[in-house]
Amino acid sequence: MSATIITDEDFLKFKEFFYRKTGISFENSKRYFVDRRILDRMEATGSETFREYFMMLRFQASGEEYQLLTNQMTVNETYFNREDHHFKCLTDSILPALVKIKKNKSPIRIWCMPSSSGEEPYSIAISLLENWPGIHEWDVEIIASDIDTGILEKAKAGVYSARSIRNLSPEVLRKYFTKVDVDYQICDELRQAVEFTRVNLAEPLDTRGYKNFDVIFCRNLLIYFDDISRLTAAETFFDALNPGGFIVLGHSESMSRISPIFSVCRFPEGIVYQKPNPNR
Amino acid sequence: MKRVLVIDDAATVRMYHRNILEGAGYAVEEAVNGMEALEKALQEPADLYVVDVNMPPWDGYVFLQRLRESDIPQGPAIMVSTESDSKDEARAYVAGANAYLIKPVKPAQLLTTTKLLLGESVS
Amino acid sequence: MALKRGITPQSDPASNPESPFDFGTAVKQLSDQDPALRRASVHALAKHPEAVGALVDRLKKEEMGLVRQSILTALVGIGDAAAVSGFAECLHSEDANLRNGAIEALKLLPDRTAPFIPALLADPNSDVRILTISILESLKYAEVESWLISIVEKDTHVNVCGAALDLLAEVGSQHALEPIQRLKQRFEHEPYVQFAADLALKRIRGN
Repeated sequence: MSATIITDEDFLKFKEFFYRKTGISFENSKRYFVDRRILDRMEATGSETFREYFMMLRFQASGEEYQLLTNQMTVNETYFNREDHHFKCLTDSILPALVKIKKNKSPIRIWCMPSSSGEEPYSIAISLLENWPGIHEWDVEIIASDIDTGILEKAKAGVYSARSIRNLSPEVLRKYFTKVDVDYQICDELRQAVEFTRVNLAEPLDTRGYKNFDVIFCRNLLIYFDDISRLTAAETFFDALNPGGFIVLGHSESMSRISPIFSVCRFPEGIVYQKPNPNR
Repeated sequence: MKRVLVIDDAATVRMYHRNILEGAGYAVEEAVNGMEALEKALQEPADLYVVDVNMPPWDGYVFLQRLRESDIPQGPAIMVSTESDSKDEARAYVAGANAYLIKPVKPAQLLTTTKLLLGESVS
Repeated sequence: MALKRGITPQSDPASNPESPFDFGTAVKQLSDQDPALRRASVHALAKHPEAVGALVDRLKKEEMGLVRQSILTALVGIGDAAAVSGFAECLHSEDANLRNGAIEALKLLPDRTAPFIPALLADPNSDVRILTISILESLKYAEVESWLISIVEKDTHVNVCGAALDLLAEVGSQHALEPIQRLKQRFEHEPYVQFAADLALKRIRGN
């Protein structure tokens, strides 16, 4: 193998390009991680120099290599209570703020996507039962959507590996799961509580019935969309939310790269986005 | 160390401002547009903001208005614009700017303005 | 009170018979006093290329940011030559928000925008030229570098040259080195140009 290296200037050039495109800024401490992935992709694409690779990344009409590299830079793994400050934000800040502006006792509606294999919506359900006293006064509906019908079937079955439940306390496990061989199945009560639906978020015809939500959880999905689909998704979210409703995005995502139509909202647990509420 | 948030969509401009300000002992952070800047300011307010006018999707005016409406500690803001139109300058002050500079700024000009706004001695 | 199972929302458009689509009504409603109705008609027209003219007209007048954003999104979705030419007209607007929206939109339609670039780069208004360079950022065309080089060689406005240098630092090749050197001489007393030029030279050489 040739001794290809990525110089400091190459790194900075890449860092700025990637920051502009995704909003993700790599600190120098991430240098090894970034270099390693670029070098891997250079080898896979037969690029001899960084410049050759960067130009392909930058100018390739299909954008395929850019997508591939983004996937590598943002390795995502689904498990229960991932980035759990967002669940805390939901129970400690978002829901208390919402019940103050709710005009009637209609159910609080949460739209969660991508459902993936169900860890995300079930984590929300467990957080509500465990950490939000309001659950005794309010009805809550959770609708979880994904584009992939296969993964939705897995979500409905609700069977998880030990790795997937590693962040849950023994008490929560005991309360909501049954051991099945080496795996854990989530209890019927929770499986019955979440409605799973197939939706392509970039297709307005799929989403037009999705209205009157109070919270949208959409973590680590938009980062994989192209710019036009992201814009459409932002419009869809706007229409799906009640005034004053909230959007939670993944930790490396920001609405600031997508659309200016939401307000930025600061809670102790982090930044979320809110549909402006003219009646307030 | 005083913190300055430099907001501009052009990486070179951000670095240019960063170089000047870091050279004078300020800690500099960057944002690429107004909405991102507001997110950063809400999480950790800066002592001073250097704000470009033109940077989609939120321009510098919208950023300043939202910053001034928020309940965080308010640092002064220098608006930086390519236009020398006096109408723009008035609009910048209405939005909450404390100084208005025309691009490209000279290093001494940026530093003097920064120091004056932060109440430091200019010598 | 507790977790309650929701009902799958109906996504079939046929299930919404109370509002049949009528092109003429939707176009008329674009000027309705109620922003929510304006926005709804923008969404209704979003898949109709024949509505581009009406949408562009509304875009130029629309004062509500939310409605404006939905018009921009709809026009980008249609994305034909008429939409792009409408955005290009908006670059001359007095309204900075409209200009910025048009820029963002043009960036999303690089192939359609490319034919407009030479004319925009020759626009007498330096702000339009600067905005155009920010469109080049997202263009995946081999011509990008030569466009930038010709700005660096000829444009007389310091901020236009500065914007070109910013992008050359990313996409420039050996061909850009000498023109950048000459630019440094042309703006010998301008610290920003010196800084940006040196940075671009360093990035292009990769060390």
